[in-house]
Amino acid sequence: MPQDPTAPEPSTRLPRRGLERLDLLLLSVEALDLNGGEAMVWMSEQMGFTSLFPNRVELWKRRCTNPLRRTTRRGALEPAETDALIRILCALADRLYPLLRGLLSTAEPPEVLSQRWALFRGRLAELIRERMNPRRSGVQLLLDPAAGARQARLLVQALSLGSGVGGFERLRASLLDAQS
Amino acid sequence: MKQTLQFDQLSCRLKVEGLPDVSVGQSGAALGIITGWSLQWAGRPELEGRKEHLLALMQVVLPYARYLISGVPRRFGAEPQPVEIGPAPEGGHSLLLRSSQPDTPPLQLALDDAELADLVRVLDQLRLDSRLQLPLALPAPVPLRARELLERRPLAQRLAAPLGGVLALVLASGLGLLIPEPKPAAAPAARPDSSQPAAQGATPSP
Repeated sequence: MPQDPTAPEPSTRLPRRGLERLDLLLLSVEALDLNGGEAMVWMSEQMGFTSLFPNRVELWKRRCTNPLRRTTRRGALEPAETDALIRILCALADRLYPLLRGLLSTAEPPEVLSQRWALFRGRLAELIRERMNPRRSGVQLLLDPAAGARQARLLVQALSLGSGVGGFERLRASLLDAQS
Repeated sequence: MKQTLQFDQLSCRLKVEGLPDVSVGQSGAALGIITGWSLQWAGRPELEGRKEHLLALMQVVLPYARYLISGVPRRFGAEPQPVEIGPAPEGGHSLLLRSSQPDTPPLQLALDDAELADLVRVLDQLRLDSRLQLPLALPAPVPLRARELLERRPLAQRLAAPLGGVLALVLASGLGLLIPEPKPAAAPAARPDSSQPAAQGATPSP
């Protein structure tokens, strides 16, 4: 795509909401793939981000800048770090695209679809309870049966539209959205 | 010399045919001139057209996906444009294709989230393919403004806080008006020697 004068600068830092959403999308990948945590480390190495995230602990520390975490770390991430995390996320979403598609397709039998969603929501809720601060209203919203289901669908939809070669720009722009 | 680019997803297949633009020195596998394209959908009529139609499809589908990823389903492509996309009232997405032929009714396709994602992926694959050496007038994805993000909240929810505030103010004012005003204090009884100055008559009592 041609360069747009209003396009975000490559050095723009992610706002607080963007950091929250980026970590939630990575958490959704973990909910979809039981080895998602390992896959993230592997993908980071494959994509040449070892200088930014030399090991799994460093990758974990970056994810802990999410203010919704139980043990949150202060300070903002560098744009190069967030861009690398988004690229890892897009590559993982691309790898998981058949699963994402299976969740979003209405061509699937409704029973199968509801079982898939129940499994995904169950795993996501488990990970949220384990790692997020339950006193935060954002976390309570994610664990709410009705609002949480809508949020889970939005996360899966965002992963499906952010997967693949063109997903990075789209996902990055959405994470840089103004805070409403 | 004729080149064909093909991009496949589970529900659709995009084929773009064209030629290298030799006037700018292109050769081999490059595609600088689009002569035609077709989009095959599983169980749906095949779409085909010229370069302008493909560009019109990309100009509405990719921004729609950009807004959707932020949770803002917004309609793209107004009446004169050949392609329109927006959220369908019954769920999913509605893609409307207006034919340039007279007396040809527009074709409406209902897409679910998976089919939309497939369409976005094939269009992304095309626009980022190194063999396509053709400038495409597509806007870069940009962050949404706060006002645009507000649209994702229902109108009733957006108006709840200001309306609640106004209602509370009106209620408080109404209740305030119901409180009776204090009666004015009774005038002190006139003393018989009230003509004398107060300082003189004010003798301390034992």
